[in-house]
Amino acid sequence: MEYSIALAGNPNVGKTSLYNRITHSLEHVGNWHGVTVSKISKSVLFDHKQVLVTDLPGFYSMTVYSFEEAVSRDAVLSGDHNLIVSVAEVNNLARNLYLTMQLLELDVPVILVVNMMDELKKQGKVLNYRKLERALKIPIVPMSAKYHSDVHLLLEVALDYIDRYDGNSVELTYLDRLPLKDVEAVIGENAVRAGFKKRYAAIKVLEKDSFVLEKLALSEAQTKALETLGDWQARVAQYRYEFIDSVTEGAISRNVSDLHREMHEHEKHAVPIESQTGQASSANDVRKSVSEERHLKRHDKYAEKALYMHGYSRIDRIVLNKYLALPIFLLVMAAVFVITFGLVGNWLSALLDLGIEKLVYQPLTSWLNGINTPGWAVDLLGDGIIHGVGGILTFLPQVVLLFFFLALLEDSGYISRVAFMTDGLFRKIGLSGRSAFTMLMGFGCSATAVLTARGLEDDMMRKKTVLLTPFMSCSARLPVYSVIAAAFFTGGAAAAKPFIIFAMYILGAAIALIAAAVFEKGVKKMKSGKLSFIMEMPPYRRPTAERVFQLIMHNAKVFLIRVGTTIFTLNVIVWLLSNFSVRGYVPEVGGYSFLQSVSMFVAPVFKPLGFGEWRAVTALVSGLVAKEVVVSVIESFGGPAVVFVGQYAALSAVTFMIFTLLYIPCIATLTAIGKEIGRRWAVFSFVFQLIVAYAVALVFRGIGLLFCISPGWTAGILIGVLTAAVCALTAVSYLRRRKSGCGGCCGGCNGCDRSRK
Amino acid sequence: MKLFSAKSNKVYKIVDVTGNDDSRRRLLDMGFTPECRIFVVGTAPFGGTILVSLRGFTVALREDAADRIEVEAV
Repeated sequence: MEYSIALAGNPNVGKTSLYNRITHSLEHVGNWHGVTVSKISKSVLFDHKQVLVTDLPGFYSMTVYSFEEAVSRDAVLSGDHNLIVSVAEVNNLARNLYLTMQLLELDVPVILVVNMMDELKKQGKVLNYRKLERALKIPIVPMSAKYHSDVHLLLEVALDYIDRYDGNSVELTYLDRLPLKDVEAVIGENAVRAGFKKRYAAIKVLEKDSFVLEKLALSEAQTKALETLGDWQARVAQYRYEFIDSVTEGAISRNVSDLHREMHEHEKHAVPIESQTGQASSANDVRKSVSEERHLKRHDKYAEKALYMHGYSRIDRIVLNKYLALPIFLLVMAAVFVITFGLVGNWLSALLDLGIEKLVYQPLTSWLNGINTPGWAVDLLGDGIIHGVGGILTFLPQVVLLFFFLALLEDSGYISRVAFMTDGLFRKIGLSGRSAFTMLMGFGCSATAVLTARGLEDDMMRKKTVLLTPFMSCSARLPVYSVIAAAFFTGGAAAAKPFIIFAMYILGAAIALIAAAVFEKGVKKMKSGKLSFIMEMPPYRRPTAERVFQLIMHNAKVFLIRVGTTIFTLNVIVWLLSNFSVRGYVPEVGGYSFLQSVSMFVAPVFKPLGFGEWRAVTALVSGLVAKEVVVSVIESFGGPAVVFVGQYAALSAVTFMIFTLLYIPCIATLTAIGKEIGRRWAVFSFVFQLIVAYAVALVFRGIGLLFCISPGWTAGILIGVLTAAVCALTAVSYLRRRKSGCGGCCGGCNGCDRSRK
Repeated sequence: MKLFSAKSNKVYKIVDVTGNDDSRRRLLDMGFTPECRIFVVGTAPFGGTILVSLRGFTVALREDAADRIEVEAV
């Protein structure tokens, strides 16, 4: 018999960590809610039995709120699984059990896993899970999925429970306080027809679950009959929580031995002995007792707050400070970039580059030339493969570091803080703080980042986030900036290189934000619906050494496979097409190779941008498959110095960088966009990005040319234009205010008067 | 009093969650039930979003959601 178990639970309780432990997978995990957006499953062999384990996206309740939560609800309702493993987190037991209660109401086979026991232990507390077991009458397995935990015990308990399952025997006493019988009498037949259990349907009707109501297809008379019962929505939740509170009360207590130890070690908590015996008359002792009092007071205050503030730590007082939050965020990001591209990454990359050049390229080509290998073969290996593919390979340390830091931001829980602090800004341009997740992930890989937008509740907001994420400079674009900047900013200007790269990242983000604002304010059809932003703040967590190692190895592997397959193949094809024509091998310029003949037709389009040359165009076109190829193709043509020629070569090169930043990231991203929000939007995204890339590059080129010809005039014109823009904006906002007859944001004094009437 | 206008660093008690849509249900499901104690932690840099703690977890709420929650001081 094949067993099928599904992991269900609130977001960020460690379902995927547990899944990875059970199935030895490497699914994406992170310390924020909504990492898993679709269900994944894998079959494992346990004790000679085949067990299909399914990981579901996190959800708070069977009454769902967003697209990915519906996936989980449907999986639970489908009855495809022999057992639902309800995963709870020990810090948040009450809210986690809320979902478990609904599973019990549904009367499906459930066992409960209480995860993150390590965190409880660190707080010096213990969980009396026997007490919960007695109340809920289901098996409970305490675990720490983050560390090597006893997965075998869980599977054994699960399979054993499936074999002997004979209905749930828990007494859900709170259900007696609800008018379920009355509701069942009204909707009974509809529930049977829709395939729901009567009791479950009745509860959901009281909760006004739109999904169940739709399935039930009640008649008008039935709806009227239900209305006479009154509003039970709040009470259902309240009674459920009251029941949970009664069950969990006293289940978590302080570890007795810890308490004991603390009394001995921490003298301030013990009764002062000598100071009370009448000798405490000196000023010194008085001061001491005052400080002691203050100390104890602080303890009391902290204890009271700690009760309410799991997830908010003392670091947050600074990190989430109203004025410091954004500067700190920018500092963190700057530090990530400086370490990745400047200090560590650059050094490692240079080392790798030197190794490839001196240990592989030179010996190999001289040996091949020595034994009289045909010229084209030497060039193919030397320029096409070693310089082209090897040029990308040198970015291994930087790409791995970047992904590592992004994962660290996720794992630590900081990324949720970023979403919280940027929500105000994002709301003004029609996005939500959760878009910040997706956009930050976009620094890693656009194609995977697009998928993380699924957790966004508003449809339009999701679409916009997906459309704008490709503007964030992904890791594949980094080699392009790095190689081109290194070629044109040499000597004294070399110091400008990191700034140019950083400027590209800022530009990408700025374009995304501006485009969002334009969509929100300018295009009526693309205005976001007004939606509340409700996001849980996870506590800070430290990644384990195992996880750090895993991250580095995994990202290095992914990168190497990508370089070894896609980039390698493409590079060889491009090299062959650009060095051969119908006449055979034509390496010299003007040889009219296959690619040159074709690209020459497209090239004039890019003339205004300064790189209307077949090599640059070829690089851009092949970059559609993977952006790294842009630079590997340039390298195999002989480097940026050969590709960008003319009077203002450096300007053309930077314009090229901007175009590369903004045009379509890759086919994979387009496919992902198509899958997420529809093919029509993917086509829109294709056209939109090309237009934006071309327009921004053209503007930059124009300003740059002016600057090259006459810096003074350019500065003057720029100042003039900026002043005019500010004036125009002020005038527009003033007029708008006048139009709405509002003297200020809230309507000024008049606003109050009017509302009083 | 509405939760959004509540003071930071103070404990309140939830009286009611108003409204009649998905957001209300989500708030109820997350534990914003009447009688529950709630602690206001702070405001976001750009305003409009607040951070609250209840039932042992911390959650960020936008103004519109926070305005649905009626609280009273304890």
